[in-house]
Amino acid sequence: MRARIEVNGEVRDLELAPSERLLDVLRDRLGLLGSKEGCGRGECGACTVLIDGRPVLSCITLAARVRGPVETVEGVADEAVPLREAFADHGAFQCGFCTPGQIVRGVSLLRGGLPAEEGSLRQLMSGNVCRCTGYAGIVRALRQAESGSR
Amino acid sequence: MQVGRRIRNVDWPERTVGSVPFTADVRLPGTLVARVLRSPLPHARIVSLDVTAAEAAPGVHAVITSEDFGEVKYVHHGGPLADRHPLARRVVRFLGEEIAAVAAESPAQAEAAVALIGLELRPLPAVTTIEEALERGAPEIHSGGNVSLHTERRYGDVAAGRRRATKSVQGRYRFGRQTHVCMETNSTLASWDEEEGVLHLWTSTQAPYFIRKEVAHALGLELDCVKAHEVAVGGGFGSKSKISDHEVLCAALSKKAGRPVRLVLDRAEDFATTKCRHDWDVRLETGADEEGRLTHRTARILVDNGAYNHSGPSVMGYGSLVMGSFYRTDGVDIDADLVYTNKHPGGQFRGYGGPQATFAIESQMDELADALGMDPIDLRILNANRAGDVTHAGWKLRSARLVECLEAAREAIGWDEKRRLGGSGRGVGIAAAIHVTGAHVYEGAEESHAGVDVRADGTVRVRFGGADAGTWQKTILAQIAAEELGIEAEDVDVLTTETDETPLDLGAWSSRGTFMGGHAVRAAAASAAGRLREAAAKKFGVDPSDVTLTGGQARGGADRLDLGDLVRLASENGELSVEESFTADMEPVNPATGVANLSPTYSFCAQAVEVEVDRDTGQVKLLDVAAAHDSGTIINPIAAESQVIGGVAMGLGAALGEELIYEEGRLVNPAYINYPLPRAADLPPIRVVFVEGKDPVGPYGAKSLGEIGLVPTQAAVANAVAHAVGVRVRKLPITPDKVLGGLRERDARPRRRYHLWRRPNRWEIALIRWLYPRGLHRLLHRWGTRFARKQEPRAIEEIRAPEEIEEATRLLEDGEAVPIAGGTDLLPARRQGLANPVTLVDLTTVKGMRSILETEYGDLRIGAGVTLADAARTPALDEVLRETIGRIASPQIREMATVGGNLCQQKRCWFYRNGFECYKRGGVTCPCYAVLGDHRFYHAVTKAHRCQAVTPSDLATTLTALDAEAVLARGGERRTLPMERFFTGPGETALRRGEVLVEVGVPAAARGRKGAFEKLRLWEGDFAVASVAASLDLGSGGEVRDARIVLGAVAPTPYRAREVEQGLVGRRLHAPTIAEAAEAWTGGAHPLPGNEWKVDATVGLIRRCLSRLGEGESTG
Repeated sequence: MRARIEVNGEVRDLELAPSERLLDVLRDRLGLLGSKEGCGRGECGACTVLIDGRPVLSCITLAARVRGPVETVEGVADEAVPLREAFADHGAFQCGFCTPGQIVRGVSLLRGGLPAEEGSLRQLMSGNVCRCTGYAGIVRALRQAESGSR
Repeated sequence: MQVGRRIRNVDWPERTVGSVPFTADVRLPGTLVARVLRSPLPHARIVSLDVTAAEAAPGVHAVITSEDFGEVKYVHHGGPLADRHPLARRVVRFLGEEIAAVAAESPAQAEAAVALIGLELRPLPAVTTIEEALERGAPEIHSGGNVSLHTERRYGDVAAGRRRATKSVQGRYRFGRQTHVCMETNSTLASWDEEEGVLHLWTSTQAPYFIRKEVAHALGLELDCVKAHEVAVGGGFGSKSKISDHEVLCAALSKKAGRPVRLVLDRAEDFATTKCRHDWDVRLETGADEEGRLTHRTARILVDNGAYNHSGPSVMGYGSLVMGSFYRTDGVDIDADLVYTNKHPGGQFRGYGGPQATFAIESQMDELADALGMDPIDLRILNANRAGDVTHAGWKLRSARLVECLEAAREAIGWDEKRRLGGSGRGVGIAAAIHVTGAHVYEGAEESHAGVDVRADGTVRVRFGGADAGTWQKTILAQIAAEELGIEAEDVDVLTTETDETPLDLGAWSSRGTFMGGHAVRAAAASAAGRLREAAAKKFGVDPSDVTLTGGQARGGADRLDLGDLVRLASENGELSVEESFTADMEPVNPATGVANLSPTYSFCAQAVEVEVDRDTGQVKLLDVAAAHDSGTIINPIAAESQVIGGVAMGLGAALGEELIYEEGRLVNPAYINYPLPRAADLPPIRVVFVEGKDPVGPYGAKSLGEIGLVPTQAAVANAVAHAVGVRVRKLPITPDKVLGGLRERDARPRRRYHLWRRPNRWEIALIRWLYPRGLHRLLHRWGTRFARKQEPRAIEEIRAPEEIEEATRLLEDGEAVPIAGGTDLLPARRQGLANPVTLVDLTTVKGMRSILETEYGDLRIGAGVTLADAARTPALDEVLRETIGRIASPQIREMATVGGNLCQQKRCWFYRNGFECYKRGGVTCPCYAVLGDHRFYHAVTKAHRCQAVTPSDLATTLTALDAEAVLARGGERRTLPMERFFTGPGETALRRGEVLVEVGVPAAARGRKGAFEKLRLWEGDFAVASVAASLDLGSGGEVRDARIVLGAVAPTPYRAREVEQGLVGRRLHAPTIAEAAEAWTGGAHPLPGNEWKVDATVGLIRRCLSRLGEGESTG
């Protein structure tokens, strides 16, 4: 079926099979390899992208059903420079496999403002599994990115 | 100074946007996709294997079986212990074992071809636990019996120690099977070049050398003909430090097909078939004299090896060395057996036997301290290893700041003050650890080689044959090269892995990366620096010793020269290239005595943990962790701190939740959603203290750090729990059932009675449950499952997007059509073989289903298509609903999932979801695996019939308490059902074919009541283990006028506890009333043996809900 999807500000006309996942379309058809597949079942957050500004899981999203504009980690990379630097400053990544998903999720939170409470922030980041860092750096990096200070 | 600097990861710009290529990101033209045929049985003889149909299938380019490998076995640790073929030969020994593999043009073609392979198996009796495997007459997994290796160690003089002992304690400690769950599953891209006769490999590994070696061995190639290429590696934690059973298959397929082939394990395969941490059963005795000096330690150890050896012998051996080294004792006796079972094998995992040994040693140290009446830290300090010691196992401790670590942890956690709170529900515990810095468990482990190239532009490249699996090793090596060459680390790039360009290093394992690689790179960089200084000295006319390299220049007296210019002087080709090697002072274990200085130096740490134990639910809440580490000099504090925190987090996971669970040899929980590894909200602050000091042999004084962070953590938590509530848990993980069970035992509370004899409607179920272990389960499992209905996977052919509900319901009249809203359940269920729609009918395009409004009468009408997140953002939504939604799944799922979808989701029973041919998946001839399987958390304690599952929706629980009604539509018809009647079974609803849930209504009367929701779950985002929604109408005097108490996850459908409601009406919410009422429903329970604790936990949750509602009253 024909579909028109806006990805990172660019409108793409694609011929899609109904069962094609957004993650595969991004990676294999559009060459946007930043989004990673960690589980394929919507359980780990590594494939997080924004649709209509909302964080969703591209591994359980059928591409043909996408109606709003999609932003991937490539699309938010510039906006996320302070957050990415903060990730580096705080050891918020080690292997980096979950990191694109963390960054995309982080950007969506920063746009709306972070909750003041540490516990709430941690809950809001709990859809993104990280097996390396124990999350401490991720939480600190978000705070740094918000305050703009190092 | 570059060493000691807080420098960013060298790849940070790429790693933070995912542009550094992982194996799945490397694109080669013509790449085929591989899939593996795995054994569906835990133990069986292969009667026949026919791949002709698969070979002829469309798109297939290669199929391999064990015939492609002959009698070859993996090398593993070499010698007679090698016991595994790359593909099963004649016998399969675990469920999931690789039997054949296919390479095809597309995933669908590869999967279709795998399905065409004709496989006939004759089942053999399986032994899936240590206990079964050791029974007399147990079926043999390999010829020669089920004990793969027996080891005895006699260190020092235990008899003398015993004579001196005035106190001794015994205990049995069980670690359980934890698994790595690297975020990147095991992945390989292989490309055979026929012309060159070379196999190119891109593979997610910590140790390219070992993969090359195994691949060359299995394929009969020279080592030089297998070339590894650099890729990013998405976590290793030991699992990728040796072969991971898929690389050879991918390579063989590529060679056979003559095309590049990619094999990426899916998450369930990664969980269920790759290696995990060995489960250890340790019977330990520790003795001490009057002053508390340790006298002796004896250990009887059984290690669950799984079906093949891999590094089992080495892991068991290493743990024994820890037993023989940790703390000063007179003697240590160890008897250890490595026991084969029909499960996927254990293997290397961060800590390598250390965590299992340390959990026993350090739990028992606290028990001993209790017996001696000593402070646990004082006891440890008294017996601590000190610098200069040589342990019984021959470890030469060149530096040891264990005492300082203990003191630092004591200080950081506020030990002295918090120890006074013992028994209050809050507690602190401590545990310490020792660990190697590189280990001589493999030939050549004592060596590392590295190259350094200084270029004419003054930049530097490090060439290193190991790999960086996420430990920041490239950054560490860049810092070291920069340090020696007087430049900034940012001006160094590091090339790893590449066979043609990098000198040999055995990789990142045994905590050797920084020490071994660091020394080798330092040697190479120092050698390059020496040559540059000489060239500068010549130019400046000074002695080389008067030349310093700093700021990218050589300086001597008043003269300065840029490094790049020097390179042109020092070498002819415009690049100064140096390779050097390093050999560490370490030795392999003497197999007869178990003695050796295994590692050049040893690290220490002590971790203190503060917990709060919820005595209502048994849940352990982590409040604080202080981790004090002696890793010598810290080369990069950012990386080091992240390593320790990550290690502690993984250790806390093993302490509190992570455990692989099996039934009939099949892994029950091969999914993130069933495996409680810590999410961000599950963890406390983890504070790291580095007790720094230079190690005499480490590079710049550095010692290891990567593994030790999780070694003591489990015991520290167990000790904290014991301190908090007086319950000693010796079997990991410390889940709520064990804590609550321990509390019940401690308080000598009588068992609950359920009066089944008075409840004829339960007799049939009681009988069935009685019969299950007496042959019924076996009958249904063995024979009944043969008649299980199967859902063949089908492609989705069409997605319809109706705008009107009438059209939607008309489309759904077709039996092949399935409604989809958020898709967060349907699409995973499709992968799980629980849904195979041909047509999807999108309900999110239907008008009028995506709004929430309040009617003029004060009712709330919630469109079924509203996402959970949108609902929570709606100001009109009742607080108790917002609270409930906030506890559902993850923020991402809440953005996608809808209210209707949440209510209609299928049951989440982990047997049903994860491939068991159960009663609900397969039909009436199949067993419910929960009856005898692990039903501690997610199964019913009342009302269950043949299926023990529950309705997983939290909204269902709360909406039932709010007297909500479900509005169902079919065509132009509407019908309304109270929520209680909407659910007909576990995750099953009253919806008929063609009928759609369009709206949920909450009546004004219920909205006027006060509500509360409480939920017990194992991790943030988990489904309920038990939940309670309370909705009370309180009078002006605080008396309860009307009540709804609904229990979630305790019965097949949301369970209205009317006895509790009756116990409340007309009374005020005083503590005795609450306590009595909360118990009132329990007489009607009918729990399974393993989930009776949920009755207690649910009572606790009811009390908490009611207390919360009562509190508001007394203060308001």
